[in-house]
Amino acid sequence: MSRIHVSTTVNGDAAEFLCDPAASLLDALRDSLGLTGSKEGCGSGDCGACTVVLDGEMVCSCLVFAAEAEGRAVRTIEGVAEGSVLHPVQQKFLEHAALQCGFCTPGFIVAAKALLDRNPDPTETEVRYWLAGNLCRCTGYDKIVRAVMDAGAQLRQERTPA
Amino acid sequence: MNAPVTIKQFRHVGTRPVRPDGVDKVTGKALYGPDFKAPGMLWGAILRSPHPHARIASIDTRKAEALAGVKAVATGRDFPTLQSLVMHVGEGASDIIHVARNCLAFDKVLYEGHAVAAVAATTPEIAREALSLIAVEYEELPFVLGLEEALAEGAPLLHADMFTKGVEPRPEKPSNASMRLEMGFGDVDAALANAAFTVSGRYTMEPVHQGYIEPHACVASWNADGQAQIWCSTQGHFAVRALTASVLAIPQADIRVMPLEIGGGFGGKTTVYLEPVAMILSRKSGRPVRLAMTRDEVFRASGPAPGAIIEVRIGADAQGLFKAAYVEFKYHSGAFPAIDAAAGVASAIGHYRIANTRVIGTEVLCNRPAAKAYRAPGAPQVNFAVESAIDELAGKLGIDPLELRLRNAAAQGDPQTSGVPWGRIGWIECLEAAKAHPHWSAPLGPNQGRGIAGGYWGNYGGPSTVVVSLAEDGTFTVATGSPDIGGSRAAMAIMAAEVLDVPYQQVRCIVADTASIGVSMVTGGSRTTFATGKAVVEAAQAVRRTLCERAARQWNVPAGSVEWSDGEAVCIAGEKAGTRATAGQIAARASHSGGPIAALSAINAAGWLPGFGAHICDVEVDPETGHVRIVRYTAIQDVGTAIHPDYVEGQIQGGAVQGIGWALNEAYVYGASGRLDNAGFLDYRMPVASDVPMIDTVMVEVPNPDHPYGVKGVGEVPIVPPLAAVANAIHGATGKRLRDLPMAPDRVHAALHPQG
Amino acid sequence: MVMPPFDKEFFRTDRLALEAHNLFDLVEKLDTLAPGFAAIAQPRVHFAVDGVIETDWSRVLSPAAEVIVLPRVGGG
Repeated sequence: MSRIHVSTTVNGDAAEFLCDPAASLLDALRDSLGLTGSKEGCGSGDCGACTVVLDGEMVCSCLVFAAEAEGRAVRTIEGVAEGSVLHPVQQKFLEHAALQCGFCTPGFIVAAKALLDRNPDPTETEVRYWLAGNLCRCTGYDKIVRAVMDAGAQLRQERTPA
Repeated sequence: MNAPVTIKQFRHVGTRPVRPDGVDKVTGKALYGPDFKAPGMLWGAILRSPHPHARIASIDTRKAEALAGVKAVATGRDFPTLQSLVMHVGEGASDIIHVARNCLAFDKVLYEGHAVAAVAATTPEIAREALSLIAVEYEELPFVLGLEEALAEGAPLLHADMFTKGVEPRPEKPSNASMRLEMGFGDVDAALANAAFTVSGRYTMEPVHQGYIEPHACVASWNADGQAQIWCSTQGHFAVRALTASVLAIPQADIRVMPLEIGGGFGGKTTVYLEPVAMILSRKSGRPVRLAMTRDEVFRASGPAPGAIIEVRIGADAQGLFKAAYVEFKYHSGAFPAIDAAAGVASAIGHYRIANTRVIGTEVLCNRPAAKAYRAPGAPQVNFAVESAIDELAGKLGIDPLELRLRNAAAQGDPQTSGVPWGRIGWIECLEAAKAHPHWSAPLGPNQGRGIAGGYWGNYGGPSTVVVSLAEDGTFTVATGSPDIGGSRAAMAIMAAEVLDVPYQQVRCIVADTASIGVSMVTGGSRTTFATGKAVVEAAQAVRRTLCERAARQWNVPAGSVEWSDGEAVCIAGEKAGTRATAGQIAARASHSGGPIAALSAINAAGWLPGFGAHICDVEVDPETGHVRIVRYTAIQDVGTAIHPDYVEGQIQGGAVQGIGWALNEAYVYGASGRLDNAGFLDYRMPVASDVPMIDTVMVEVPNPDHPYGVKGVGEVPIVPPLAAVANAIHGATGKRLRDLPMAPDRVHAALHPQG
Repeated sequence: MVMPPFDKEFFRTDRLALEAHNLFDLVEKLDTLAPGFAAIAQPRVHFAVDGVIETDWSRVLSPAAEVIVLPRVGGG
C-alpha cells in the first residue's frame, strides 16, 4: 500500500511525515513525529486523551485521518507552554493537584485551554459540560474543575489592564 | 475520646507542595506504557478467541510466518511446561499455570477475547494482517456466564481439575466453584428467629471494569544470552519480573523491568498479560517487541471486578441493637480462580458489633475474563447489600440510619468476622463527623433523597525497599520500588524532608527499576504511603545519623556530641559546641571522611490499620425518565494522618466517583452468544465531569500508632460506601429499594412505574 | 485457630493445639498434619498472634500464644 506524504504545521513548526491512508492524526503525531504527549485511551473518540486543536477547532486526533492534516495547523499538548513558561491551565493543574496518574491530563489541558480561549469566565456547569468529552478515572473531576476555573480567574486578571 | 498522646508540629507533613513529576505530566513529556519505543523495535499484535468456550484443535501459523515483515509468531506451545506454583505477587495468590494460560491459551479458550496467538512484525499494519492469516480450528463448547448457572448440576466445566477448596467432605467431582469460605460466630439462626425486627434481601450486579484510561502496553527485549529488559506500566514492576520469570522459567535477575509512568491501575495492573508474550516474540525475533492492548482488548481480556449475587439477613432488637447477620455471596471469578471472596468475607459486616454473624463467600468460575483486583477488591459488592439492608432496617425500626450505625459501630477491641480484634480504627469518629456535617441536616428539594452508607477496607503493609542517598552538594535522592500512580513521590519526599528537616525541594524521589532497588510489593492494597513511607522514614533516619557521625569526624569531636537540628548537624558539647554544618557542607567532605552517604531500608512493613469511611449522598430522581442525578456528595474518611492532603482528598474523590459509576451506569453486558456487547467507553459509560458535583471530603485523622507519622491507607476505602449511599438516597427520594446494579434509568423507571 | 478455607481445605478442624518455636516451625508442623500446607502458606496465609497480624515468622512464640490462621488479603 502506498503511503501518503503530508506537509503540515505542528505547534507553529513545519512538519512532514509519510502515513498509511488509514492512519489517524494521533498515530502520526505519536509514531511519525514522536509527540507522545497526546494519548490513546480508546481510539474511538470517547475518552478525549488525544485532544488536539486543528485549525482552531478542538478535535479527537484519533478520529482525524493523518492525511487530513495536510496544509493545516495542529496544536498539541507539547505546544501549550510557551517555552519553559507554563500556561496558567498547566500551572493550576499542578497547584490544585488536578492530576493523579496524569494520563488524561494532556487532553484535559488542551480542552480546558480551548474553553478559556473562547470563554475566559465559564461557570462550573460550563466547565463540566465542556470537559464531558474527556474521561478521568482518578480524580472524580473535582480538582480538575477547580483548576480550570482558577486558571480562568488568573487569565482574566492578566488581561485586565492595571 | 482519646486525647492525642503527643501534639507534634510537622514542618512538611500535611503540606501540599507540587509533585516532583508534575511538570512532565502537564506538558506531555512523561513517558507512559504506550509511549516507549526501543531502537529496532517490532510491533506485536495478539489474536483473540471469538468464542467464549472452545477447545483449540489446531493453530496453523505458516501463512502468517510467510508474510513479508513478520519476524515471529507465538502460541501457548511456546511457554515451557510449568509445575503448579502458587505465588503472591500482586493483589493475591495465583497459580503460575493460570497466569501463563491467561497470557496465551493452551488447549482451551475460556472466554471471548482469550489470547490464542501473537505476532511481531515491522509495522503495526503488517502485524494486524498477519493475525488474519493465522488459522485456528476451534471445537466450540457450551459456555456459562451466570453465577447460579455455573454452579448448577451439569453446567459446562471450565477446568476438569477444579475441586472446590474449603468444603468438607472434599468434593469428589470437579465444579466451577473454586473456593468457598465461611466465617463467623454465634448461633445466627436462633438469633434471627428471636430478633424483634429483621430484613432480608437479594442483591445482584454484573462485573465492572477498573477503567484506567491507559491501556496495557510493554516493550520486551530478550537477548541471546538470556538477559532481558522490559519497559512497561504496572502497579508493580517486581511483580512483573516475578511473574514473567516464573511463566518463562528463567531467573528473575535476568530480567530488568523498567517502570514507565502508569496511567491508572486501580488493581487491574497487578498482574501480567502482555509481558511474557512480548518476551517470547522478542526471543524468537532477536528484536525488541512492543505489545499494547486496544480499549476493546482491555475490556474483553483484562480485569474486571466480579459481579455478584448476595443474600443478606439482619436482625435487631427493638432498641435497634443488631443481634444477628447472615451474608452469603457468590462472586464471578471468570476464567481462573480469583481472590475477591476472602476479602469479601472480611469486608462484609465486621464494622458492626454483632454477637451472631455468619458470612459465606463462593468464588465461581465462568466464561468471562479472569477477574482482577479492583480497588478494595471484593468489598464494594457485599457492602452494597449490607449497607442497603441496614438502611431498610433503620426504616423498619424508625431510627435515623446514621444513629442506627452509631449504635452498632465496632470499636477498637471488638472482634472482626475472623475473630481478630480491631486495632485503633476511626469508624465511630467518621460517623460522628458525618452527624456533625452540615450536609446531613441540609434541606432537600422535590424528588430528592439522601442516603448514607459506611464501609471499610483492611489495607496492607508488606515488603518495600528504599534507598536515600546524599548528593555531593547536600541534596537528597529517595529511590523506591513503588510505582507512583497518584502522587506518592511527593508524599515520599515530604516524609524524607520531615525526617531530615530540610526544604521539600532538597529531596527528589524517583521510582527505581528492578535492578536498581530491592524487592518491593505492588502499589496496591493502599500500602505505599504506609509501607514504603515507613521505609523512607527509616532510611532517612539512617542518613541523618550518618550525617551526624560524619560531622563529628570532620570536627574531631565524639559522635555523641552531634545532633541533627533544624536541618543541620550541631555540636552540642565541648569546645566546638554551637558549631553547625549543613548537609551540603558535610557532603562536600564526605568522601574524605568515610565515603559517600546513603542508606537502604528493606522492610516487611507491619502495623497497618484498616480505613473506614462514611459517605452522604443526595440524589434527584427524574420521575419521568428514571434518571438519577447526584446533587451533593460528602465523603468522610479516617485517613490516619494525611501526608499530602491534596492527594488524599483526590483518592477519596476519585474512589467516590468510581463508586457512583458502579452504582448508576457501569456493567458488563453480554449477548446470548457469550460475547461482550459493550467493549468501549461509549457503551461502557463511566462518569464524566458533567455527571457529578464537587465531591466534598472530610479527612478525619485518627493516627496509626504504628507509623512514624500516623499513616493509614486511603486509596481503597472510598469506593466501598458509594454503591449503597446512592441506593439509599434513591430510596429516600422514591421510596423504592433498588437491589440490582446498575441503577440505570431503565431500572429506576421500571421501579417507579411497575405498570410500564 | 484455623479459619476458612484452611480448616476444611487442609485440617478438617478449626482448632489445633501445637507446640511451635515460631511460625516457620508452626507451618512445618501444620504441613506434617496436612501435606501441601507449607507450599501455599506464604502466598495465601496470614497469621494473627494474640490478635495481631505477625509478618515476622521467625519471631519466638510464647507457649500460650493463640495463633489464628487467616486468608491473606492484599488489595488493589
